[in-house]
Amino acid sequence: MRGYTPGQLAAAALIAAFLLAFLAVPVATVVYVAFAEPGGGFTLSHFAAFFDLALMRESFWNSLYVAAASVLFASLIAVPLAYFTVRFRFHGALIIQTLGVLPLIMPPFVGAVAMQLIFGRSGSVNLLLGEWFGIGVPIMEGLNGVIFVEALHYFPFILMNLVVAMGNIDASMEESAQNLGASGWRLFRRIVFPLAMPGYVAGASLVFVKVFDDLGTPLVLNVTNMLAPQAYLRITSVGIEDPIGYVIGVLLIGFSLFALWAAALALRGRDYATLQRGGSSLAMRALKPWQAAAAYAWIALVLLLVLSPHLGILLLSLGTVWSFSVVPDGFTLQHYATVFQDSPRMIWNTLAYCGLAALIDVVLATAIAYLILRTRLPLRGSLDLVASAALAIPGVVLAIGYLRTFRGVEIPFSGELVTSSWLLIVIAYSIRRLPYALRSCMAALTQLHVSLEEAAENLGATKRRTLQRIVVPLMMGGILAGFVTSFMTAAVELSATIMLTTSQSLAPMSYGIYLYMQSAAGRGPGAALGVLAVAIVALGTYLSHRFMRSRAVDLDRQL
Amino acid sequence: MTKARVEAQGIAVRYGRTVVLRDVNLAVEPGEFFALLGPSGSGKSTLLRLVAGFVQAHAGRLLIAGADIAGVPPWRRDVGMVFQNYALWPHMTVRENVAFGLEERRLPAPAVADKVRAALGLVNLLDYAERRPSQLSGGQQQRVALARTIAVEPKVLLLDEPLSNLDAKLRIRMREELRALQRKLGITTIFVTHDQEEAMTTADRIAVMDQGVIQQVGTPIELFDNPANRFVANFVGSVNLLSGGSALAGELRLPKAADVVIRPHTIALASAPGDAGRIWLAGTVADREFLGAFIRYKVKVGQTQLVAEEPHRVGADSYRPGETVHLGIDPAQVRLINSSAGGKS
Repeated sequence: MRGYTPGQLAAAALIAAFLLAFLAVPVATVVYVAFAEPGGGFTLSHFAAFFDLALMRESFWNSLYVAAASVLFASLIAVPLAYFTVRFRFHGALIIQTLGVLPLIMPPFVGAVAMQLIFGRSGSVNLLLGEWFGIGVPIMEGLNGVIFVEALHYFPFILMNLVVAMGNIDASMEESAQNLGASGWRLFRRIVFPLAMPGYVAGASLVFVKVFDDLGTPLVLNVTNMLAPQAYLRITSVGIEDPIGYVIGVLLIGFSLFALWAAALALRGRDYATLQRGGSSLAMRALKPWQAAAAYAWIALVLLLVLSPHLGILLLSLGTVWSFSVVPDGFTLQHYATVFQDSPRMIWNTLAYCGLAALIDVVLATAIAYLILRTRLPLRGSLDLVASAALAIPGVVLAIGYLRTFRGVEIPFSGELVTSSWLLIVIAYSIRRLPYALRSCMAALTQLHVSLEEAAENLGATKRRTLQRIVVPLMMGGILAGFVTSFMTAAVELSATIMLTTSQSLAPMSYGIYLYMQSAAGRGPGAALGVLAVAIVALGTYLSHRFMRSRAVDLDRQL
Repeated sequence: MTKARVEAQGIAVRYGRTVVLRDVNLAVEPGEFFALLGPSGSGKSTLLRLVAGFVQAHAGRLLIAGADIAGVPPWRRDVGMVFQNYALWPHMTVRENVAFGLEERRLPAPAVADKVRAALGLVNLLDYAERRPSQLSGGQQQRVALARTIAVEPKVLLLDEPLSNLDAKLRIRMREELRALQRKLGITTIFVTHDQEEAMTTADRIAVMDQGVIQQVGTPIELFDNPANRFVANFVGSVNLLSGGSALAGELRLPKAADVVIRPHTIALASAPGDAGRIWLAGTVADREFLGAFIRYKVKVGQTQLVAEEPHRVGADSYRPGETVHLGIDPAQVRLINSSAGGKS
């Protein structure tokens, strides 16, 4: 038996060609240029040149430091919150769940400006502190600002992974430990924490990679002595020929891959905390009054911090002038009017690009999931591997790769350059968001029992009809969730966007926000555009949760 | 419905290097209720999936109604299968589930509606047509799965452990319903189970399988009374199995080359040897289990432990552990099996 049909083979070949052209080749080009002598041939001289520059050495260490410190601070916020949710029966659990999403709907580069206004040297908090106590806190100074913003933005990755991991611990694990005499701190240290470790490592490695690769936040905060901003600056100022930009690209990919690989290594064979069938999760305890007070205080503090960029950006979008004052001097709707007057095009671009990219993603993801899980196509596993590898490719690097690879390539018939069209933006979005859509579709199809398809074939449905009437309808929840996730994360993508956007008329909202934020006068409209972007993402998050929930109900009922 | 004969000739199936079925030869007669009985891993489900077309044979031929169906895809085989987990589609109502196969056959809508109604009527679920599978009990789900399969009037009906997901009481009721339905439709049916009682009570004939090999084919009574080897003797009913040449077998004056099968219920118990037609052995009661209809004694005779079952009635005497009893073995009830006959126990 061959185990696949010609149609499946053709689909696999098409997907492979797409991934090759828009992921493998551009990334390989970046790596090649970083190691190639001008005339061809292997060299390490570009790396040597990189490490000869004091600014580059500094950027390198700064990036590592910021990523590690962000993981540390994110953990400090997330671990107690996760423990509260899983362990204790109290009303704060709902707030914590909300806390898990709130930061993610605000792209960090949007929030960064607001954070500057609230926590910066002449921001609200320091103005108040100075007025009352005559002191100032340098939260937003230089790298501190980046760490602060990133930790506040990305801690939900750790929180959510940890809550899931702890929720999956079977109560019998803990009970048998208690039965054998363990309790309190020892119980946590020897049983609960090791069992939840996979969730923590998964979340923490993701935070590390995200922060290490982030371009928007440092740029908006005017911190340029880090790797990603340097790559951007070298390519945009020195030019596409400058090898240093490529060296940085290779470093960014290298560290991302390393972090993900280390996490996978640490997790291998350790994911044993799955709930038994019919088992129950860890027992919930009631909090003692003082414990409840402490927990609520911590939650309130985090909530305040988490909400500050949202609040700040809202104030900024509605404020007339906000400078050297605790709150804006007056309020107006003028900025929204400006945005709708100047840049409806940007809003439309965002909807079009992201919609198209998300569509490409779910089609590819559904096809890949089906090919991997339901056929015996040779090398099918490599499709998953390559598509998921996009996770480790920073937007800056992908964009550099595109600019270099497709330099001078014209779109057939129109004669327009590929690099100056919107095509590459859409493709960059779809490549970068493909891993999320793929996870979602793979999960949906994995949970589908094969017998549901076999029953259809048994009753006379061909493979194609089965796909159409059984597989896709039953995967729909996962497909829609994948679409929404792709769409909304693409809507706030900045790193590839600012490199690939060549003209105002082709710019999406994220680029617009960045442009506006460059000038003091543009902050108001920028914030207004930011609020719109947040509204879109919030709506998307809400919808995807709805899909996930209805899907969970469906799956509960199945079989 | 058309009745079809299903015939396997020298079928072999491998997954990689693991041999799942070897040289399977089998003929299921038209209209027969045929059971494949064996422990998990015996290859019985693989054989069923082979008939359905989800598994390909590496050797041998599979004939349905005389035609070789190798290479015919599952959707053109016209054999209906009821899955162990029912495989009802959660996004469709009961009616839509049952209509699916008819629609795939491109039947006109009125005919589909008629046949859906008929199939649901057959399993007494007409009132549940608009429900979702998730709103039905296990037994109802099973009947939907059955209705969905028989609605397309397949040539052969395949049942993969259809009762294993039901609780004990319901299992017995569904077993009877299944048998009645099969008689009514007269459809050739192959039924996979690991439960010997289920197979014996429902099937016309049974194939006992172990390690990918058919050990014996026969009616339930044939299998019980004349097991072909140690495996069948052990798997079908409870048994005392004595190796040929053992001390006890010698005492019973039996040939050395054959293993000895003695069913526990054929052994008589008495406080003193009686009835001259039996061979009496003295032993000590080691243990006993009360099962309601009978008491099962474990009696130590020399180095060997024998199991004997005595019917129980109100007020009947019973023997206590440690007591000496005499076991009366009726030579006419003793069965010999050739030690060299395959099968592992």
